[in-house]
Amino acid sequence: MRLGFSLPSLSKFSPIFSHYNPVQPISSSSPTSLKPQTPLFLRPPTHSTTLSHLQKWQNWAKTLASSVTSTDNGPDTTLLLRELNWLIEDALENPKSILPQLGNEDMVVTLRAELKDLYVLWKQRIEERRPFQYVVGCEHWRDLVLSVEEGVLIPRPETELVVDLVSDVVEGNEELRDGLWADLGTGSGALAIGIGRVLGTCGRVVATDLSPVAVEVASYNVQRYNLQDKIEIKLGSWFEPLKNFEGELAGLVSNPPYIPSEHISGLQAEVAKHEPRLALDGGANGMDDLLHLCCGTASLLKPGGFFAFETNGEKQCKFLVDYMKNELKGGFCDVDIVLDFAGKERFVTGFRSKTNYQ
Amino acid sequence: MAQTMEGLVQGLTTPCNHLLRPLYCSTTTTTTTTILVSPKSRRLPLSLHNPPNPTSSLHSLQPPFSSPPLAFGLSTPTLPPFRFTSTVLLATPESQVSVGDSAETSEWAMQDFYSLRKDVENTSKRVEEIRASAGLKQLEEDLADLERAAADSSFWDDRIRAQQTLLSLNDVKDKIKLLTEFENQIEDAETIVKLTEEMESVDGALFEEAANIVGELNKALDRYELTQLLSGPYDKEGAVIYITAGAGGTDAQDWADMLLRMYVRWGEKQQYKTKVVEKSLGEEAGIKSATIEIEGRYAYGYISGEKGTHRIVRQSPFNSKGLRQTSFSGVEVMPLLPDESLDVEIPEEELEISFSRAGGKGGQNVNKVETAVRITHIPTGVTLRCTEERSQLANKIKALSRLKAKLLVIAEEQRASEIKQIRGDAVKAEWGQQIRNYVFHPYKLVKDVRTGFETSDIVSVMDGDLDPFIKTYLKYKYKEAMSAIGKDRDKMTTNT
Repeated sequence: MRLGFSLPSLSKFSPIFSHYNPVQPISSSSPTSLKPQTPLFLRPPTHSTTLSHLQKWQNWAKTLASSVTSTDNGPDTTLLLRELNWLIEDALENPKSILPQLGNEDMVVTLRAELKDLYVLWKQRIEERRPFQYVVGCEHWRDLVLSVEEGVLIPRPETELVVDLVSDVVEGNEELRDGLWADLGTGSGALAIGIGRVLGTCGRVVATDLSPVAVEVASYNVQRYNLQDKIEIKLGSWFEPLKNFEGELAGLVSNPPYIPSEHISGLQAEVAKHEPRLALDGGANGMDDLLHLCCGTASLLKPGGFFAFETNGEKQCKFLVDYMKNELKGGFCDVDIVLDFAGKERFVTGFRSKTNYQ
Repeated sequence: MAQTMEGLVQGLTTPCNHLLRPLYCSTTTTTTTTILVSPKSRRLPLSLHNPPNPTSSLHSLQPPFSSPPLAFGLSTPTLPPFRFTSTVLLATPESQVSVGDSAETSEWAMQDFYSLRKDVENTSKRVEEIRASAGLKQLEEDLADLERAAADSSFWDDRIRAQQTLLSLNDVKDKIKLLTEFENQIEDAETIVKLTEEMESVDGALFEEAANIVGELNKALDRYELTQLLSGPYDKEGAVIYITAGAGGTDAQDWADMLLRMYVRWGEKQQYKTKVVEKSLGEEAGIKSATIEIEGRYAYGYISGEKGTHRIVRQSPFNSKGLRQTSFSGVEVMPLLPDESLDVEIPEEELEISFSRAGGKGGQNVNKVETAVRITHIPTGVTLRCTEERSQLANKIKALSRLKAKLLVIAEEQRASEIKQIRGDAVKAEWGQQIRNYVFHPYKLVKDVRTGFETSDIVSVMDGDLDPFIKTYLKYKYKEAMSAIGKDRDKMTTNT
């Protein structure tokens, strides 16, 4: 059993940054040199066009969406049309003020992007399969709207459940509710923010990520929800930034890369071609990072501390549970597999044993 | 237009009044102008405030009082109230200051008077109708019963019951008082009419008084009628309308789309904030389903009667032979309840929640905007799907609050005091009732199956002119409820 953790080489990490956000060299001293993009819906409404031009664009976009036949399990026309409506919603200054049926065609509408940019964006969506969330620069996740961009994993709906798991655990457990939590490989900061909002007033979250882009985006999202006093985002690999907290964490969650390397090229283009491999690739069997996390968790959590990991499914869940029960004997208790909303075995949860092991 | 705009409609609201108005009140503008160019008359302001109704059919259409505002008007309630004002009245600005001065002015005055007399007659009929339908005799019996109970020496032994009795005693008293007032007022107006007839000349002050009485009385009658018709616990709320295409493919889906447009137009005409929040397109044309949210006072009260199956008969536009085709679509209506009023706890084990994430490995492997949530309330089988929100949690919250609203309404309809008492079997059957036929071919007719109300002006109906249907249905429903109460009473008296 390989317990060692090999730091993913940076060459592996080649996200397709959008042109206006050039890749900055990593410099741990000033990670703020990367400026996160503003999501479309937060940009200033400084562009205007007429309703008829907008409609023309919309009809064009619909036709484009209708021509799609997906071969790689990508989105179908219905989903694309839904995305199109959301794109309009985000691009319009005031989507609610437009009178769609009786509106006069010359009516001026105010946009947050130039109409010609909307053509470009939708072309990118359909032809390049650029993920919708990168196109609009945000993802609606739980009750949050999180900024995302190339280089940052788009949080998935399955992961929403982790916040519920934490919420259930901290309810009626003051020690956990007001303790220190960690989200490792935070990406957009989704889990950190979700958890930060269910903790008590004294509860804190430290979130780490190896990617400087992710650190910037996560920090931006934390600030948008005004949680900078509660959540700290640190640059670094997994536990490295947490060395000072050994045995102090009340809880630890992670949605680490778990897809087996060879599966990645076969995924839908939105994921395979656009999302950061660093956040997806879990090594040969997808378990590299999960196993690494398991080991570190035992020493970071305080007795009674809670953990939750997302996995690729039944096989990984079973493997992980087995591993914790046998290899890390006595380290954890109440280790359990939790289903996602689609009925798939998705999460492994448990507690650090109250009595010290070995 | 609706076709090309369908995407924009989705998720966007449509409350732009000033754009709407010219479309269907252009005819009234002329009247308005006539009124405004004759400012000399002292009588005018009065008639402006209290428009006598030129014909009885307009009684109920008179733009009513500020609340509940909305309206059965032919059009918008914000229109100035003088739109029905008789032009005859307005054309005689001098008549009051110079009664009988010349043959011409007295002629005008008499015409004014005839118009007033007609109003008085019509209003009198209306008062009679209302008094009859209110079951005045029954009310008086109730009052006697309650008074007898209150006079009983053991009355205060049960304090809670005593208080309830006193409350209903007051209610009945108030109602009788109101009905008596209606009668007194119309008698006053009638006396003035008689007096004028005997005098054979029009007295300005008396005329003014009678016009005033009739105007105010009609307003009060409107208000009374509305409170009687819209007295359900959720009638004041906004509404959520679900439209689902029936079996039958493209024809039914096109029909569902036509209904969607009809209700959106209706909402706009009422100046409600109308929003198509979800729409699932059909493969060829039309829609599989859609959800409209209508915000505004009494929206639910008005539109709730639209619940049921709507049937269309027409030459199919999707069939090269143009065969006659019958299609169905289902309409469901629920109140749009504020979260705080959804004070219902449903145990989690009674809910079955499923998410739309389709097959595959899920998680990081997939990136699709699949956020739809379906919730089933297991004991009743009531199922709800919510797809309009952009995150799963948001859809779940919305679906749950809609489910609660739906259960509350069903509970109310079944007169169940709590959700536990809802009879699931009755719920499942509820969707099917056919309520209206829309025949486009071989003749044009829209007919309500329940009330028998019909019109051949199918174009206006499809443009959202539903008020005659809604109003007839509300009256029908009210009568049904009254007779049901009457039967209950009879039963109780025979039992005792």
